[in-house]
Amino acid sequence: MKKALIIMAVAALFGGCTKYEIEPVPPPIIKDIFSVSQSTVTNAQTFNFTLPSAGPYTLTLIDSLTKQVISREKIYGGAGLNTRNIYTKTIQSKYLQLVLLDANNNQIGKTTIITK
Amino acid sequence: MRIFLTILFSLITFLGSGQTITAPDSRSYVLNTADQNASGFSLSGFNSSDILLCAIGLPTAPAGTTFYFTTTTGLTPASGYTMTGNKSRIAFTGTMANINNALASLKINTPATAGSIQISVSATVNPAGFFYNPTNGHFYRPISSGTTYTNARAAALNTTFKGQQGYLVTITSADEDAFVFNNVPQTNIWFALTDELAEGQWRIDAGPEAGTLIKTSNGQFTGNIAGQYNNWAPGEPNNSGNEDYAVTKWNGSQWNDLPNNFSCPYVIEYGTWTNPDNATFTDFYTNSTTHSNGPTLSVRFNVSTNNITNSALTAKVHYQPTGSATWTPSTNIARSMTLLGGMDVTSDIDTNRVVTNTYLSTISPGQVEWSYINLFNGSVTLHIDQRKVTMSPSLISHVSILDVYSGPVTFTSSNGTWAMYNIPVQIPKLTDGTSQFNSYIRNAGYNNYAFRCEVTMSQNREYKKQALFFNYSTSLSALYNNVVTVSDVYTAFRQFATQGGLTGTSNGTAFTSPIQYIAADVDGNGIFDEKDCFELLQHITGTQPLSASNLTDIIRILSRSAYDGVTSSSWNTVPQKSFYSIDLMDGVLTYTNNISIFWKGDVNMSHSPSQSGSGQINMSVNPVTMSMSLNSSTSASDVKASIISELIEDELSLTVQLDQAQSAVGVQFMVHYDNSLLSYKETKFTSVGSSTNFASDKGDYISLGSLITDGNSSLDNSTKYVLKFKTKSKMTNTLGLISVYPVDAVTKNGSQIKINIL
Repeated sequence: MKKALIIMAVAALFGGCTKYEIEPVPPPIIKDIFSVSQSTVTNAQTFNFTLPSAGPYTLTLIDSLTKQVISREKIYGGAGLNTRNIYTKTIQSKYLQLVLLDANNNQIGKTTIITK
Repeated sequence: MRIFLTILFSLITFLGSGQTITAPDSRSYVLNTADQNASGFSLSGFNSSDILLCAIGLPTAPAGTTFYFTTTTGLTPASGYTMTGNKSRIAFTGTMANINNALASLKINTPATAGSIQISVSATVNPAGFFYNPTNGHFYRPISSGTTYTNARAAALNTTFKGQQGYLVTITSADEDAFVFNNVPQTNIWFALTDELAEGQWRIDAGPEAGTLIKTSNGQFTGNIAGQYNNWAPGEPNNSGNEDYAVTKWNGSQWNDLPNNFSCPYVIEYGTWTNPDNATFTDFYTNSTTHSNGPTLSVRFNVSTNNITNSALTAKVHYQPTGSATWTPSTNIARSMTLLGGMDVTSDIDTNRVVTNTYLSTISPGQVEWSYINLFNGSVTLHIDQRKVTMSPSLISHVSILDVYSGPVTFTSSNGTWAMYNIPVQIPKLTDGTSQFNSYIRNAGYNNYAFRCEVTMSQNREYKKQALFFNYSTSLSALYNNVVTVSDVYTAFRQFATQGGLTGTSNGTAFTSPIQYIAADVDGNGIFDEKDCFELLQHITGTQPLSASNLTDIIRILSRSAYDGVTSSSWNTVPQKSFYSIDLMDGVLTYTNNISIFWKGDVNMSHSPSQSGSGQINMSVNPVTMSMSLNSSTSASDVKASIISELIEDELSLTVQLDQAQSAVGVQFMVHYDNSLLSYKETKFTSVGSSTNFASDKGDYISLGSLITDGNSSLDNSTKYVLKFKTKSKMTNTLGLISVYPVDAVTKNGSQIKINIL
């Protein structure tokens, strides 16, 4: 018993208190992102949008201030509701335009993104 | 509980209690003068109630140098010492407080011989039964019980003390012999010297000098080897009855040879070094300061160049003999730059003094008032009777007046009776009564002080004027290319643009340190502009060799004060040097030269002493200010580029392509990536002709681009970069995980143009 108490005391001395991690609550999905004029996003923000048909599309992020394209991704979407993420850790602009184009460069959707 | 105590004890042991000995800065002592201040040593961190052993010695000093204390309260001299009188070494015991009081009262007496005086102070908790020799830093343990020589030799080797293996004492100098004589109470003491291998061939038999032959035949002086210490009694060694082993303190203080079967006491010695500062005893603390006695020149360079870790510069010290315009190289040795750029070239300085055409007038005690000093309105004017001046009075440049002044003077005039000189400082000893020659100084009234003296002349001996040259070498070339990167050049570009655009002024406060303008002005025309950046870019990408005229003189040297004094408006008027002149002509004995070196192109001043912090290039620049464009509109003259990425399973591929190159010869992008989710793999290039392509992974971004410097071709829309990343977890898409920012582009004529990613 005494040995157990010593071990506990040493463990308390070196281990300190147990830290309880709080699981981050994921931000709510932004529904139909191109249906609103602007959305505020955090890193790894999930959003969804509707596509008229299955096929290749591009999602483009444009710096609203400099008009420079800073990220563009080719995706393959399905007809109807699609879900994707937007990552903001490397993006150094607060205001962005998110543009959705189809394979023929026709604009399907456009909205303003504000990074948080 | 025992476990807890063990842990506690281990922690205390690990942390230690921080015992140290503080040493004073180096001083220059006056030759042949008693009672000079030698304080400045102090102990700290010892338990205040512990009785400590403290030892003070002079490991290096001209003969005749001694020291003494004026306060010895509470101290007990070790065996063989007294606390009073002049010493060349001493060991004593006492508490830390009492020892510190004594150290604060330390005085030194210097001889007439010039040289270095090293004062060494050591301390440890007093070990009973051991004697410490402060001159060599060894401990000695007398063993009073008698035994044979061979037993003593073996027994000594089986002992350890403070982490050092013992050995039968060796006596290699008169100093050590005297130490043993004074501190070991026994007589006829075995010490490690034998001729057992060959009769008459006396060799040291233990310790660091084991095997050393000191004598080649028997007899008091016969066969004594010059340079080796021998101290035989008259008629010894004589091998009377096969005597092969030596004792000291034989019939006094000398040596004799005895047979092994004699039973004699012996002494065990601990320590293998010759300088107390090199002692490695455990729980033993030591420190020392080396002072100069008389005209011993000491030069120390503090070369300020932060964060140089692994390169070398070629430092040449040149000297100019008096009266000659010829600078002669005295050395040309690559000096390693370590730590924060420290580079010691002290040993390269020529410390030989040369006779000059100026004279020192020495005013020494005499019978007749041949000179006097007049004090008026703060000026100090020396008058010397012209009958005593045996050459043109204007040739006297220095004087030595009793003990009140020694230094330079300026000849002002002569009236045929008196030659007059201005002394540049006040002389308190003239009037405050502290001069030991006060009886030779007479207050003659009207602010005149007459000297009863003799006046003699001697030609000055002065140090040569010298200069320190820095040359870049192959290793510096490597350093230069390692430190200054393409990104640095673009940092310069950006600063230039931020300041006012391509047509703006180059003065101002764009750089964080004004010295950066000097570094950035690589063509040395006093203007920092885009041509400087382009030229540097050509150089660091290997297309322009280091020998290019504008970059030949990469290293720049300023005195530290000039370096710190550079302002954003004065940088192009600050004279820069490729060598640093060291004027040693004024006879000052100790020099500390603080100089700063930097090199062209180091626009981020990664080596600047005024640029603290990481010292490396700050790569996390704001991409908005990275853009050379001051407006966001697209111009027909811009380079146009496109980007697109695609995720296929766990491989993310990014393509950056020029769509309109617009005669650009250089482009640069920065590709930022989220390194918590992506790993960078590679970049593949497609470009025209002989372009130099680069892609450098900086951990969370990649600097990439191309440059053509053949003077003919330029980049075109075939220029493409394909970057590959691997995802660290399964992902459905990667929008924003990579972001691309254009830096800028350069045309053939060095003009800067914008890149637009569309």
